[in-house]
Amino acid sequence: MDLNFDLIASSFPLLLAGAAITVEITALSVGFGLLIGCMVGIARLCNVKALRYLANVYVDFIRGTPLLVQIFLVYFALPGITGSRVDPFFAAISACSINSGAYIAEIFRAGIQSIDNGQMEAGRSLGMTWAQTMRYIIMPQAFKRIIPPLGNEFIAMLKDSSLVSVIGFEELTRRGQLIIARTYASFEIWMCVALIYLVMVFLVARFVAVLERKFETK
Amino acid sequence: MTKDMIQITNLHKSFGNLHVLRGVNLTIAEQEVLVIIGPSGCGKSTLLRCMNFLEEPTGGTVAIDGVVLKNDASINEVRKEVGMVFQRFNLFPHMTVMQNLMLAPMKVRGVNAKEAEETAKKYLEKVGMADKANAYPEQLSGGQQQRVAIARALCMKPKVMLFDEPTSALDPEMINEVLDVMKTLAHEGMTMVVVTHEMGFAREVGDRVIFLSEGNILEEGTPDEIFFHAKEERTQSFLSKIL
Repeated sequence: MDLNFDLIASSFPLLLAGAAITVEITALSVGFGLLIGCMVGIARLCNVKALRYLANVYVDFIRGTPLLVQIFLVYFALPGITGSRVDPFFAAISACSINSGAYIAEIFRAGIQSIDNGQMEAGRSLGMTWAQTMRYIIMPQAFKRIIPPLGNEFIAMLKDSSLVSVIGFEELTRRGQLIIARTYASFEIWMCVALIYLVMVFLVARFVAVLERKFETK
Repeated sequence: MTKDMIQITNLHKSFGNLHVLRGVNLTIAEQEVLVIIGPSGCGKSTLLRCMNFLEEPTGGTVAIDGVVLKNDASINEVRKEVGMVFQRFNLFPHMTVMQNLMLAPMKVRGVNAKEAEETAKKYLEKVGMADKANAYPEQLSGGQQQRVAIARALCMKPKVMLFDEPTSALDPEMINEVLDVMKTLAHEGMTMVVVTHEMGFAREVGDRVIFLSEGNILEEGTPDEIFFHAKEERTQSFLSKIL
């Protein structure tokens, strides 16, 4: 088969611009997800029953439903309640952040629980509060251990963010669809899209490996 | 007459159906060194851990220097005054020795960094670890880690020190360096409660030994009375196995 190299060359900048948006969504979502996940992960371990219950419900609901359905819920179902249209960018970021937050909460919970209980006891026996011990003793140690799974979550979100193309948000996958709709060059464009994802994931994986090594020596 | 530092009244502790402590009554005077011995599972560690509420008793009361321990924010006030040394050291591995020692005084007592560092240096000197101030715990031997752990507890300037089998996790050649630090403390008048089977330590600095069996104090007396003239058969049979 003949590949249309002119088309690839002319489409590539458009796709790269889409890739930049993919990175933006992913970074924002995982960033907010980190904030949510840190709080929810700690809430799942605290001794306030109501907080623990709420955190469990949140994690169960998000992990129990597909991201695609969550995106539809925010984009199509939410306007039914609020009465006003939801901006696609807002819908994409909030759905992905809320989704990521649940998975990151589990990463935090597992990381915190992997720290020997003697550390909490040592902190408390010195008169530090539970929160102080968490902040100065437990979290810094847990953080080192959660870098690899956090890297995985970032990579997963990088790829899963392609789902926001269904609400017309123009990230990498949606750009590819639009170019194909105009040119019918499915093979060339999807190969380019796949290649760009592959390179992005590779770079993230390398970056995580460097981070891991940096924290290890400390 | 010296005052009471720790007062334990009718202390009970259960873990589910397991009734570990069964109505312990115990008073420890200021500057007293009390050694707790007893077979594995008799509740020695649990009793010690109830003295700073790392275990919350199921019944009865513990009072430190007249303050009855309660499971609320007030417990942090009491814990400032009660240092604890663990079998497994529990140093903070992500911090240097110096940072280990400075953290609690700064965060809990609110002293400034300079003062915390001076105090830390003083106690590191005392336990013979001044040259390791910038080392990380994993770079130290077990005996060195335990001495740092003792210094860390001392930096809070506690009124009481609790030791939970402080030499059980150590290689034999390191036991004495830790015991020597503890002996120095005892000679300086620190109130100490020590769970240990180190008879030499008990005889040299212990004021009183209690033998704990099945969740209660079976026998108590001076170290010589307990180690060489135990009245109870169970105490004798236990001692014959460890001595």
